Amino acid sequence: MALIFVRTAIIFLTLLVVMRLMGKSQIGEMQPFEFIITLLIAELACIPMADSTIPLLYGVVSIVAIFILHQVVWLLDLWFKPMKAVICGRPSIVITKEGIDEYQLKKNNLDVSDLIESMRAAGYFNLDDVYYGLYEANGGFSALEREQKTNSLAVALIDSGKLNGHNLSVCGITRAQLEDFLKEQGVKMKKVLVMTVDGNGRVYFQKRGERYKILSIEAGERW
Amino acid sequence: MVRSICLTLAAIALCAGFFIFVDMYLTKEFDEFYGAVDTLYEKVEEGTAVGGDADAVRTMWAGKKSKLQMFIPHNDISYVDYRLNEAFSYIRTQNYPLALANLEIVKKMAQNLPDNYRLKPENIL
Repeated sequence: MALIFVRTAIIFLTLLVVMRLMGKSQIGEMQPFEFIITLLIAELACIPMADSTIPLLYGVVSIVAIFILHQVVWLLDLWFKPMKAVICGRPSIVITKEGIDEYQLKKNNLDVSDLIESMRAAGYFNLDDVYYGLYEANGGFSALEREQKTNSLAVALIDSGKLNGHNLSVCGITRAQLEDFLKEQGVKMKKVLVMTVDGNGRVYFQKRGERYKILSIEAGERW
Repeated sequence: MVRSICLTLAAIALCAGFFIFVDMYLTKEFDEFYGAVDTLYEKVEEGTAVGGDADAVRTMWAGKKSKLQMFIPHNDISYVDYRLNEAFSYIRTQNYPLALANLEIVKKMAQNLPDNYRLKPENIL
């Protein structure tokens, strides 16, 4: 029985490390250790129930082991603040007044399109609708919004140096027009972290490692 | 907070107590069973074993296995059952060499089974 306990503890710790390494995009709305407990409890409860050759006590001991580990993690959370960061992670500020922090995005295994999607889910349809944007330790997105939000949906034309051809045609912007725009900015496409255009031709433009700029472009379509 | 700590410590103590109990219980039960099989083995070796000796071991094992099934997987119990029944049928037909072979396997199982559930690195990994 002690064997089952230790095996359960090993699986628990392994899952915890793996979930932490996977970053916030994989977690959803739970803390990493809560997510692991949810995964394990369901399986642990099912296996001894379904397989009559395994004593039911095996499942019970495993679930008690999970409970003890949960309590221990919770107490460590309360008593040792550095441990909280190790177990649950820290919030990551991905948008600052300088623009998008690419390093923080990469650290959490996210890209610009994930960020834009999170922002839309939170009710922000333009990257400069917020002063600060951050991913909480539980994977949720929070933002400090600007007093005045834009009133048009922005679409990404360039995401991490890659052109989105579909969005380019949606905006009614030609490839040549875009290349001219980039030439004016003195940058090659792969050096652009993000470029979005909204229905008013307002451009959010950020080169890698630089502050973002608000520019404008003649868009063929209005939306 | 205090309640949670007490609850956690109580759960840990309860688990530790239970683990020690299970370990001691398995060792004791399999030691007794090993003793009985060993006695039968010696009688088979001498050629004096009869059906009554086999029945005595069978009755003892039947009493033990109903409780052991709560603590170890049923497959392990089935392996012991299988070998033991084979040995008993050879004793009844006085085919002692084959009975000895099966009893030897049962003895090894009685020695090894509790070990398979002990807290050892090879079992954990």
